[in-house]
Amino acid sequence: MSKETVISAKHLKKAFGKGDSIQVIYSDLNIDIYKGDFTVIMGSSGAGKSTLMYSLSGMDKPDGGEIFFDGTDITKLNNDKLAVFRRKECGFVFQQIYLIDKMNLMDNVITAGVLTSKDKEDIKYRAKELFSLVNIPETTWKKTSSQISGGEAQRAGIVRAVINSPNVLFADEPTGALNSANSAAVLDVFSSLHKKEQSIVMVTHDKKSALRGNRIIYIKDGKIYGECDLGAYEQDDAGRTEKLDKFIKEMGW
Amino acid sequence: MKKISTLTLHNLKKAKGQFISFGVFICLTAFIINIALVLAFQTFNAYDSLFDQLGAADINFIIPEIQDYDDLLTEVEEMDGVSFVEKHGGVFTTATVREFAGSDFDMNTVFYSLDEERTLNLLDVTNYSGEGGNSVYIPLYMRELGGFTEGGSITYSIDGEEHTYNIGGIVSEMQYGNYGTGMIGGYLPGTLYEDFAEEYSNNVIVEYSLKISDTADLSEMKNTITEKLREKGIALMSINDKDTSKQTRTMVCTLLIVIFLALAAIILVVSIFLSNFRIRSAIEGELAQMGVLKAVGYTSGLIIASTIMPYILVGVIATVIGIVLSYSVLPSVAGVLAIQSGFSYTPEFDIMALLIVILTLTCAILLFSYLSAGKIHKLEPINAIRGITGDESAGQNILLFIVSFGIMVLLSFAGTLLYNVNIKPDNFMNTLSEEIPSVIFTAEDDKLTELEELLQTDSRVKLVLEYASVPVSYEDGSLTAFVCEDFSKVTNDICYEGRSPENENEIAVGNAISDSYPIGSIMTLTVGDKSADYRVTGYIQSVNNAGSVCQLTREGYEKIGESINSVNVYLYDKIAGEFINEYEENHDTLIKSSVNYEQLNENGQMMYTGIVSVIVVILFVISVLMVLLVMYVIINSMISRRKQEFGIYKAIGYTNGQLTIKTALNFIPVVAVASVISAVAGLWYLPAMNNTIFSMIGAIKNHFEVAVWILIVFAVVFTAVAFVISVLLSAPIKKITAYSLLKD
Repeated sequence: MSKETVISAKHLKKAFGKGDSIQVIYSDLNIDIYKGDFTVIMGSSGAGKSTLMYSLSGMDKPDGGEIFFDGTDITKLNNDKLAVFRRKECGFVFQQIYLIDKMNLMDNVITAGVLTSKDKEDIKYRAKELFSLVNIPETTWKKTSSQISGGEAQRAGIVRAVINSPNVLFADEPTGALNSANSAAVLDVFSSLHKKEQSIVMVTHDKKSALRGNRIIYIKDGKIYGECDLGAYEQDDAGRTEKLDKFIKEMGW
Repeated sequence: MKKISTLTLHNLKKAKGQFISFGVFICLTAFIINIALVLAFQTFNAYDSLFDQLGAADINFIIPEIQDYDDLLTEVEEMDGVSFVEKHGGVFTTATVREFAGSDFDMNTVFYSLDEERTLNLLDVTNYSGEGGNSVYIPLYMRELGGFTEGGSITYSIDGEEHTYNIGGIVSEMQYGNYGTGMIGGYLPGTLYEDFAEEYSNNVIVEYSLKISDTADLSEMKNTITEKLREKGIALMSINDKDTSKQTRTMVCTLLIVIFLALAAIILVVSIFLSNFRIRSAIEGELAQMGVLKAVGYTSGLIIASTIMPYILVGVIATVIGIVLSYSVLPSVAGVLAIQSGFSYTPEFDIMALLIVILTLTCAILLFSYLSAGKIHKLEPINAIRGITGDESAGQNILLFIVSFGIMVLLSFAGTLLYNVNIKPDNFMNTLSEEIPSVIFTAEDDKLTELEELLQTDSRVKLVLEYASVPVSYEDGSLTAFVCEDFSKVTNDICYEGRSPENENEIAVGNAISDSYPIGSIMTLTVGDKSADYRVTGYIQSVNNAGSVCQLTREGYEKIGESINSVNVYLYDKIAGEFINEYEENHDTLIKSSVNYEQLNENGQMMYTGIVSVIVVILFVISVLMVLLVMYVIINSMISRRKQEFGIYKAIGYTNGQLTIKTALNFIPVVAVASVISAVAGLWYLPAMNNTIFSMIGAIKNHFEVAVWILIVFAVVFTAVAFVISVLLSAPIKKITAYSLLKD
């Protein structure tokens, strides 16, 4: 059965700088993201992984090309329409987490939730469910980001990202600032969301994180250099680990 | 609104201190603007209302009774534009009021009968039931400024005879209620008045009070009356109109309103710059968070709204508080104004002032906070998350510079007022007054030269100058003429354009009539039945006489009037009282009367310096408060923005003290440079400010000195205070630990 395409990017161009110092990130990149997939984008530092992810999510505008998100070319949207598009279609998890300072976890989530729902009680109800899903106890909901661990903060960040039931959840190195125990807990959340058929696009250069995905895309020299289908995630699946190791070795990792 | 309520509330909570300081500024601004507006709306309205209530005439003119004739009333009634005329009798005197504010004060006083039937110029008298006994009823001005009280006594010395009366009550009236019009009223019960009028039968006058139609022109009507009386050969002793009286009696109120509005404008500008500073700091400090908000779907408009909404909320609440607080001091302010205006009223709640203050401040806050937050539009979410703003933060130093400059302007203005009112009060009094001698002696007939020669041999005397103030008439009415033997010797040069007269055919005219008499033009003056032409050589000012004055040389005046018979005596020391006593005892054959002008001047100073001192104290308190709040806002913003940097410094071994000093030194150079530049620029802008403010009350030329040393001292003190406050307010740096940096 062929997969449903949720994002289709064609002939993407992106460069930074001007004149002699111009740095071309990609000049003619094509990529499709499928519904229900946990897509992992890998590549060396500076390859343009995050830039690609942020272009696909409407956070950044490519210099050229088209990006069809559920049939809409988001490159044609102005900033305000892009904001409305993001609130409905996308969720974001960042490496540095970026919960709003001095605002408690529940309010952080509500701040995102009120953008799509007028019923605050409904938002709270969903937030509570999601907090349970990511193992954040009720005693922590009223704490601010400086009063909890990095892992808890990142899991709260995930709750904020999915409170509006986004079409695609984007994650940029979500475990990059966490220790291994916290990383595992966060990745477990991603896996459980994926099991619930949440489409996820994650940028990482961490093998353990990449193993959670079912589709690995390797970026090199501004192109999709290679792609690997790992299949559904199973804990302690040595076959998947070997497959990923082999793939990234082939990519020159 | 619902979408931004959580964020708005969060923004409000997380910077409580900053919003409180912003609120204090706005509260202060609203407080001051509301006082100014209520005074502006109600003082003039209260005046107009009292004017209507008392059926005050639009024009009053006084002529000697002896020159009045039966048909004059009909002739005036039939003049175009005149709707009603009424005649009142009176006695015109030049009375010395004893112990007026502790000194003898020569005042043109018109005595009226309280029992005369009136349709116009009604008298609102307290405690009068038709039985006055030996009582005089005095205008409110005499009570407020002269220090007389109901139940006390007052003595008028008229032509050497003392008349002492009980003060029966206070009269509110619109005609002579303030000596700025050059005349003051005295009101006697019917029988007492009749005896008085009989005693001074040569001084009996007739006052014509006119109501004119709405379409008639007031000054044209005055000219027509003056011309008519001149044609008939009738001496016009005084003519006044409602506009001039109103302007004179509300002079200090106008000055106060101008100063208050200027002050409020400066505070508003500073608070707007501060909110701008705060918003820009918040955008820089919370760049990543704004990026995240954009990422989760907040539009720029929503983020801007949640950023500026707390300012609007705080602004509106603070404005309302400021307005409410202003009503607690407005009665006192109105009371202070009554000293000069001579009429009192109780300020009431003013909905129009409230709406204007709220709308003005809210719109100003909305506009400027929106402009400050406008850069949020340009933030690309991904760049914001990565900390790329796309512009430099040099703007903050510019803001700090402007705010420091603004506060220094306020301090410099207050300091200059203080210097010229308290340290060098002559500068202030010379601005408001004319010549300020120590003593004025009026010589017995033909004894002036002998008296002058005697005074010139007295080692305590610095200068003796033949000088007098006398009434003269010109085609549009009457003027007070300052007559002097030699204007190059005067100690207060009131000529602000051209020059004072040097020859007998020259005249300098007051600012009230300067438009009608260009320099070089000819003006005709009349005293009694003698007239002479004079060429205008310059313009002079006189706040006390509302600019209706002129200067003539002694020889020039003697062409139309009698020889002047008085001398100004300027003493080295403040010994006027004992000097007068000594001369009156030892040389009574030479001296007809004397005036302790030194005392009079001090009394005048008391009235004005009292009001100005209140203004200066307010300015200083506001300035200190502003320095404190500005430093608080700036340092707080800086600490929260550079928290990580401080954590790193601590991690590598910097002490709290070093970081505190480092913080202070980060912006003290900007404060110091702004203060010094403002102090130096003060040499230019302070005279301009003073000129603008004082010209509104008729002091076109002011004698204020701008003492650069005071400005420099202020700049140094301001910088030092800013430094000390910054060190004290940098205390939160101690709480930043290297660990908290890692945790953040």
